[in-house]
Amino acid sequence: MSRLGPFYTLAAGAVVAVALGAASLKAAPTFQQVGAQDTNAAAAAPAESPPAPSQEPSQQPTGEATEAPDPTPRKADYAGVVQGNGGLVAIAVRDGKAVAYFCDGRIEAWLKGTAENGTVTLEGKDALITAALGGGKAQGRLQVGDAKWRFTAPLVKKPSGLYRASAAVRGAKIVGGWIVLPNGQEVGRVQIGGSGEPAPRYVPGTSVDYYGVTLRPEEPDAFIDELVR
Amino acid sequence: MTHTTVLTKRSVVPLLVPLGVGALVAVALGLYGRVHAPTGFAVGVAGFSGPLAMKAWLTTGAALLAIVQVLSAMAMWSKAGTRSAWLAPLHRWSGRIAFLLTIPVAFHCLYALGAQYDSPRVMIHSLLGCFFYGVFTAKMLSLPRRGLPGWTLPVLGGLVFTALIGLWLTSSFWFFTTLGVRL
Repeated sequence: MSRLGPFYTLAAGAVVAVALGAASLKAAPTFQQVGAQDTNAAAAAPAESPPAPSQEPSQQPTGEATEAPDPTPRKADYAGVVQGNGGLVAIAVRDGKAVAYFCDGRIEAWLKGTAENGTVTLEGKDALITAALGGGKAQGRLQVGDAKWRFTAPLVKKPSGLYRASAAVRGAKIVGGWIVLPNGQEVGRVQIGGSGEPAPRYVPGTSVDYYGVTLRPEEPDAFIDELVR
Repeated sequence: MTHTTVLTKRSVVPLLVPLGVGALVAVALGLYGRVHAPTGFAVGVAGFSGPLAMKAWLTTGAALLAIVQVLSAMAMWSKAGTRSAWLAPLHRWSGRIAFLLTIPVAFHCLYALGAQYDSPRVMIHSLLGCFFYGVFTAKMLSLPRRGLPGWTLPVLGGLVFTALIGLWLTSSFWFFTTLGVRL
């Protein structure tokens, strides 16, 4: 009996680990779905035109190659659901710079890149987004690790869109990301020191308490220059 | 003459299997943590404000029990004839509970986050975590074996303890000093 004790100890540990694995596979995504659940926000979204859209360069260029107007919006915010994943993606464009955030409650990715010729190309750690801008939406592909999804993210306006909070606490960097959709759907995560977990719910205009640290989520205007140089 | 033959029966050969299996466990955990895509989410122990707090406290519990481990082991190995009957069960069960407390922690680390080498603290923690389960496995497999060198259990036990305290320093202590002592 006592000679088998150590094997039982090891076996008990393995059984607990397997049980946790099975439970984790079954567990529902930690989504924060508040309010209406119509995921077809794309159709109903009240699209707001960006300040300098010049969406369709319908006027024909006369003769020589005069500078065709760049269809890229100068300032635009897109947010929508990732097809086949259920997570959210948000893209913010400011003067040729672009930043994006993807989050499904479990995995997340911050991406940065450029917006030109009506498209955005964004890269992050093991993540890639390419999307076409126009017609009041950003439509494209998202790749995170080995997974690939498509998405259509309509234009959104405050308080919907992308939020990011960063703080430094005694040498540890805390970064939180949130995406808020017009229908109230929201998702976010906070990462600290190589670890991450679902973010506390963020109500636009307020602050977020994370283990006693006050996080103040900001709009892309406040952080895009810091992320995209 | 006769008692020398008794002494030479002890050899490191029977130790090779526990050490080999322990090494395999450590490498397998490291490979798993490195190769699979972190899920960012894992089921854990409820009642804490988040996975980080859960891990910080469970590791603290395991570290406290590890101190009980060292004290009870010292008493068991002491020459003085003061061995009480409850010492062995105390050592056995405090160790078992400590080991089981670490499982949800390691599961969240490996399944949700994966092994990472981005910063020194996280890298040391990742490596120590794999090492810990390797040495622990080696020690468990050594316990029932006869004819092992006399230093086997103290050395393996000492390494398990050292690894666990290192894990506590690179996680719970970091959590408590960075975000504060909170549940």
